[in-house]
Amino acid sequence: MATYLEFIQQNEERDGVRFSWNVWPSSRLEATRMVVPLACLLTPLKERLDLPPVQYEPVLCSRQTCKAVLNPLCQVDYRAKLWACNFCFQRNQFPPAYAGISEINQPAELMPQFSTIEYIVQRGAPTPLIFLYVVDTCLEEEDLQALKESLQMSLSLLPPDALVGLITFGRMVQVHELSCEGISKSYVFRGTKDLTAKQIQDMLGLTRPVVPVQQGRPLQPQEQPPISSRFLQPVQKIDMNLTDLLGELQRDPWPVTQGKRPLRSTGVALSIAVGLLEGTFPNTGARIMLFTGGPPTQGPGMVVGDELKTPIRSWHDIEKDNARYMKKATKHYEILANRTAANGHCIDIYACALDQTGLLEMKCCANLTGGHMVMGDSFNTSLFKQTFQRVFSKDFHGEFRMAFGATLEVKTSRELKISGAIGPCVSLNAKGPCVSENELGIGSTCQWKICSLDPSSTLAIYFEVVNQHNAPIPQGGRGAVQFVTQYQHSSTQRRIRVTTIARNWADAQSQLQHIEAAFDQEAAAVLMARLGVYRAESEEGPDVLRWLDRQLIRLCQKFGQYNKDDPNSFRLSDSFSLYPQFMFHLRRSPFLQVFNNSPDESSYYRHHFARQDLTQSLIMIQPILYSYSFSGPPEPVLLDSSSILADRILLMDTFFQIVIYLGETIAQWRKAGYQDMPEYENFKHLLQAPLDDAQEILQTRFPMPRYINTEHGGSQARFLLSKVNPSQTHNNLYAWGQESGSPILTDDVSLQVFMDHLKKLAVSSAS
Amino acid sequence: MPGRDVAMAELYVKPGNKERGWNDPPQFSYGLQLQCSGPKRTPLAHRVPGLAHGAPQAPTPVNSAPAVLPVALPSKPVGPPPLAVVSPALRPDTVKQVASLAKEECEVNVEDVLAPLNETLSMCRNAVQKQVCDDISRRLAVFRELWLQGKLSAPVRKRMNILVQELQRRHWDVADEIHRSLMVDHVNEVSQWLVGIKRLIAEARNLPPRDLVANDEQGAGAQPAKEAL
Repeated sequence: MATYLEFIQQNEERDGVRFSWNVWPSSRLEATRMVVPLACLLTPLKERLDLPPVQYEPVLCSRQTCKAVLNPLCQVDYRAKLWACNFCFQRNQFPPAYAGISEINQPAELMPQFSTIEYIVQRGAPTPLIFLYVVDTCLEEEDLQALKESLQMSLSLLPPDALVGLITFGRMVQVHELSCEGISKSYVFRGTKDLTAKQIQDMLGLTRPVVPVQQGRPLQPQEQPPISSRFLQPVQKIDMNLTDLLGELQRDPWPVTQGKRPLRSTGVALSIAVGLLEGTFPNTGARIMLFTGGPPTQGPGMVVGDELKTPIRSWHDIEKDNARYMKKATKHYEILANRTAANGHCIDIYACALDQTGLLEMKCCANLTGGHMVMGDSFNTSLFKQTFQRVFSKDFHGEFRMAFGATLEVKTSRELKISGAIGPCVSLNAKGPCVSENELGIGSTCQWKICSLDPSSTLAIYFEVVNQHNAPIPQGGRGAVQFVTQYQHSSTQRRIRVTTIARNWADAQSQLQHIEAAFDQEAAAVLMARLGVYRAESEEGPDVLRWLDRQLIRLCQKFGQYNKDDPNSFRLSDSFSLYPQFMFHLRRSPFLQVFNNSPDESSYYRHHFARQDLTQSLIMIQPILYSYSFSGPPEPVLLDSSSILADRILLMDTFFQIVIYLGETIAQWRKAGYQDMPEYENFKHLLQAPLDDAQEILQTRFPMPRYINTEHGGSQARFLLSKVNPSQTHNNLYAWGQESGSPILTDDVSLQVFMDHLKKLAVSSAS
Repeated sequence: MPGRDVAMAELYVKPGNKERGWNDPPQFSYGLQLQCSGPKRTPLAHRVPGLAHGAPQAPTPVNSAPAVLPVALPSKPVGPPPLAVVSPALRPDTVKQVASLAKEECEVNVEDVLAPLNETLSMCRNAVQKQVCDDISRRLAVFRELWLQGKLSAPVRKRMNILVQELQRRHWDVADEIHRSLMVDHVNEVSQWLVGIKRLIAEARNLPPRDLVANDEQGAGAQPAKEAL
């Protein structure tokens, strides 16, 4: 292996794993002195074109407390047909089917290239996927029409045997019976009263009537249609009727008087949806898809009253403890989210409105269940329409990019324990020998449930080294971790993906340079950011920034090279060189700063940050900036005001926005129309190049980003100016005329100042 | 298979709805969205190390342009852009040469499109519930009506024509894919009736082979029409 960079990249491609440290400090004490915890980003279902699943069951270690899966790291005695578990050292017999194995006739799971392997296991009859639409009808006519069309369109994108259901809501909640008979019936519920799952099931007639079983004649299963058939039907059976039903949906008929918001019973509608699936299809892959155009205004889960003169809560209200409905509403949705997760279902929220819709209160529905959260201005935008289409996108094999009902189990070798996970998951409260008492994220368990995931869903998993100080480097010199993900594939097959990795131990006192060289600063930045965002969501707030700063200073103290009290002597090695600027941009990001964002927006940004893979997460932390000029191909440039030059075009990707910015001269040339003159064809090409590159990003990103095409002096240039490092500001005017770039009107601290402070603190003998 | 579908699908980019959403992104056609699973250009994902371990002064970009005056000062007049051969280094664009399939006018008679559909429907009559068949038939009537009233755009008519040809060749997957592309790209025109054709494709594909064979003999008449297209 040439470099650690290549090693890291190959491991990510093969196993979907990125560790903060790729050589592990061998004792607990030394590990804590590394500041950045030993942790990894795991993409359980990373797309692997070269990984055909095998059609048999995995072989498990026979020790009841271990049950690790046979893997390439296990010692095998081919003669005696025995294998030793690399986690608990138990010796196991191979099952009879493995009688023919030998050194040259190995099963796939023993070959080193199958450190990640996927098994197809079939247990029981396959159950179809379920899609339950929960549709707000308190929308403007134009929005409702667009939404109806998108829903009709989606019926063509669903798997043909999928079951679909429809609930609509406004002041009332309607559960629609779907039948082929052409007469549409629905059950109407009041939107003000919460109902228990039992009540909902009774009212919908979902509880099987106790039929007295006739003597000597067992009831045939076929005699009764499946209990849920009235509300959930195969899309291929009722597509025509459902198309008509959707087409005939009307706006909520209740009059809305001047100065009032429409009464919207989102809380009860979701509760009914959850109850309906809970009673009929527990532990089956199902999506509840909530489409809403405004905040819940009545009943349980209401976020704001119906008086328009009372605005929906802001950060200011929340700080002043002046958000009347927030706690109660959040509680309502948390209970629903936990029930949904327990049932193995997921909730998507598609919220399209100009004002806030209550994502802050409802976020747990998507966050705990792995559902999507999409925020747009209107259902009649391409942002919503295409994002929604991409929910049903397919992979290279023509399979849907969605999986359901996953459990992730992590096993570690003895010197490691699991502190916790951060991502779209809930704890399964599985205790075991490898569970640490020190929690980071969702801890005290070695198993998590991920109700819905796709090939990019990524969890952060944190570990603790428990080997005692001065104890020898553990047996074999390597530590191992196994990730076992059981899930329902979109083809409804049950599958198990197993990834087993190992890394070298090193003594941090004598071999620090090995540990240092194997530091993955990108993974470390994302892993620390997830911890920070997780804390910001659940506890402290501004304290999070201070905590991140402290960690950064400690890291620089540990790994920087410097003379005491001499900031100018401070140096960081290549493997740490980008880390401080990641932290600088993270501090300024909407994941930690709520200024200029509504509570809903913050929830939305954090939702996506806590589930994307490393590349996308890093784009969110430090946006990517490319510069286009006549002098060559587009080149990456510093995210800095000095990169804003008159004769350049910039393309910035912040994940949520794609910004194209024409420098002053370029903008003037375009205004003068040079691109239309044949002799200036090169200028035309220069203008086109970033558009094409932007298009490529737009074509694949989920959710669809906003697209901003602006130029020097344009009002929308603010999107660029607010992200770049303000190296030139109105405060250092003297630099004008001497340096290139564009000054930013801000009092924010620049990276230079930040670095100066960091160096001073790192080298200080006082700390 | 995707390659084939792409070749037949419409490839276009429409501007987003700026009226309703600020900075709404452009809208890609179904074919173009499928295409993106093909080979990619090198992703723009590189960063410059910056000044993390360098001196604290502001970085001076290499080969940077001549210094630019700040906004506040009167800007000097700007000359023309450099005349040069097209820089080969700029990435070649892949999407630009989008064929405007839609533009060419298609002279298809609605009855030519409907006849094979009705024929397929009659094949289904024996095996499929009457109510479903009637429902499909009703939607075919709506389709005919809209076509005759000139309410269907050229791309929709053209793609329906291709769909029907694929249906006759029993390329169920291809026909289904065309239906999907129509649904995604032109939902406001087709949502009412296309679902009937979707159902027809699904029902026809499930017919026992003998029903299809029986129909082959009757359906011989449809052959020339197919050739003519």
